[in-house]
Amino acid sequence: MKQDFKFPLYVILHPFDGFWDMKYENRGRLRVAAVILFLLVLAMILQKQYAGFLVNYNDFRRLNSLSELVFVLAPLLLWCIANWSVTTLMGGEGKFRDILMATSYALVPLVLIYPPMTLFSRFMVQEETVFYYLLNTAAVFWFIGLLFVGIMTVHQYSPSKTILTIFLSVVVMGIIVFLGTLIFSMLQQIAEFVINVYREIIFRA
Amino acid sequence: MPAKKLIAFVAAVSLLLTGLGSGEPAAASSTAAPYESYNYNYWEEATPMPAAYLPEGYITGKNLGIGEFLEPADMHVSSSGRLYVLDTGNQRIVQMNPDWTEAKVITTFEHEGKEDTFSNPSGIFVDHDEKMYIADTDHQRIVILTPEGKLAGMIQNPESEVLPEDFKFIPLKVTVDKANRIFVVARGVYEGIMQFDEDGSFIGYVGTIKVKRNYADYLWRLVSTKAQKAQMRLFIPTEFSNVDIDEKGFVYATNIDIGSEELIKRLNPAGQDVLKRLGYYPVAGDVYFRRTTGPSKFIDVKVLGDGMYSGLDSTQGRVFTYDENGNLLYIFGGKGNQLGLFKTPAAVEMAGEKQLVLDRGKGNIVVFKPTVFGSRVNEAVRHHYRGEADEAETAWEQVLQLNANYDIAYTGIGKAKLMNQENKEALTYFKLGMDRKNYSVAYKRYRREVMKEHFGTVLSLLLAAGAAFAGFRMVRHWKLRRERNHETGF
Repeated sequence: MKQDFKFPLYVILHPFDGFWDMKYENRGRLRVAAVILFLLVLAMILQKQYAGFLVNYNDFRRLNSLSELVFVLAPLLLWCIANWSVTTLMGGEGKFRDILMATSYALVPLVLIYPPMTLFSRFMVQEETVFYYLLNTAAVFWFIGLLFVGIMTVHQYSPSKTILTIFLSVVVMGIIVFLGTLIFSMLQQIAEFVINVYREIIFRA
Repeated sequence: MPAKKLIAFVAAVSLLLTGLGSGEPAAASSTAAPYESYNYNYWEEATPMPAAYLPEGYITGKNLGIGEFLEPADMHVSSSGRLYVLDTGNQRIVQMNPDWTEAKVITTFEHEGKEDTFSNPSGIFVDHDEKMYIADTDHQRIVILTPEGKLAGMIQNPESEVLPEDFKFIPLKVTVDKANRIFVVARGVYEGIMQFDEDGSFIGYVGTIKVKRNYADYLWRLVSTKAQKAQMRLFIPTEFSNVDIDEKGFVYATNIDIGSEELIKRLNPAGQDVLKRLGYYPVAGDVYFRRTTGPSKFIDVKVLGDGMYSGLDSTQGRVFTYDENGNLLYIFGGKGNQLGLFKTPAAVEMAGEKQLVLDRGKGNIVVFKPTVFGSRVNEAVRHHYRGEADEAETAWEQVLQLNANYDIAYTGIGKAKLMNQENKEALTYFKLGMDRKNYSVAYKRYRREVMKEHFGTVLSLLLAAGAAFAGFRMVRHWKLRRERNHETGF
């Protein structure tokens, strides 16, 4: 149990070995991935609400923790589905479970860096806020690097093929969103049509 | 059913009570202003606020007994308080006493032994010696008259190497500084404001408006043919629309440059724009506007003193008053037929604390009087400009009692507190006023203060923690060694 929660820290420092162990030595746990995602959402909410005045440009009247949850989890899920769809067709070895875990484990730097930066930002003056932005950006780049290595290891791809699949996944994400809205609006129109037919019959009767 | 009835009864009674209790004063203040009073908050939302200026009455030619004004184009209040109106349609100058009750009319002046008149004059300025400078547009000259109406000078056909041979001098607006340098906005002159010395000879231009490249237009030009290019509008700078001058000799100039954020410029003697734009949004009038209405077009600017200035917007007929840092203080006026609304506003002036707006379309001048709120704001801004922190703070606090949503007041109090070294209190106010820059300054001072105060405590705590840690390590080390020795059997 303790080892399971220590493992993500090993992964972010030794990504190649870490992601290998995660998949092939069965060291990854979905439970841990879920906890990481929960902590990420928490870190994001805390940052939006409690980051220092000098770096916090959010309108507090419009902060909503629930929408924050949706805005973090929905794109992640979408990414995992898109990546799974692409890689199944392109001979990737990763299962959906692996993709989900690799993505979540890659997010650990954000979870580790955001909360302390949120705290420090409260004691910063204007000139020092560059460090806040610098470290937050570093966390994002760290995440991107880990995601890249994670996807590459999990699917056993070459670097160039990884870049290609990541690019395709992003395209597929767009397609999914497009199809989703299309279906939604069509269902709406069908519903409207049925309601209209019903109304028509009521008026005639 | 009885419960429902009871609720209805209570509701009716409470409605009646609120109607009786607070209805009357509320109605009085809301009917007095024919326009909606608002300002933009930090989040760029138009929020209602108490009116800062309310219309008090009209000044018309009829009331003065000189016949109605006809399309008056400009006016000026001299330093002695006299109001000069340039009654363009009647080709005359109306000179009023400071109470606006009596008027003297100037229609002609003696020029080279003959009676001379004005032709479509469009700009007037009166200097400290009550000398009048009139932009006599269609006669292509600037006429300078003494207070008695005698000719004191004339500027026409300026000559210079910079000016082309066939240059036509069509002056529109004029202003004069303390050194009697004359600044003229002329039609068809894109190089800037024309500057003349006291003898009337042309010195040069000040404050050219830079042409900004629009990449979409640039792209279109790339793909269009020569014939199409010839049809396109030229990329020439916009003309200035009006000028005014402050007590330090800086020229305030407006231009109608759509899409620009520098509609009002403050030009230093070298011709550079030094207007401070530190507000939440650019000094450009309305932040939000309907696309069909379009952005604000400043056609006049008036320096109110102590860094404040008012811009007159011809699109919506509103007057926007800013402070020296470019914070929008208040907005008043509008378009319509009631008192306080304009048909075609042409000029804005200040008389004491009152602001006057000349309506070219209606041919009258609307007098706006500051409300309690407006005069408190003016007072606070003036005190702050003069560095009187305590007086400014009191005035801002009074402003806040009248309008607790006035962001600038919080910032103002914060600045006063900062000046008085009350750094912690300043922090609260800067946060309320969403002023990050000053918040940072206050926080830096406050942090240093706290660190100085608690330096001893922090250091001794750190030392104690260090000592405790070292002790712990030593004890553990000693214990471990004893155990090891024990195991090996010593």
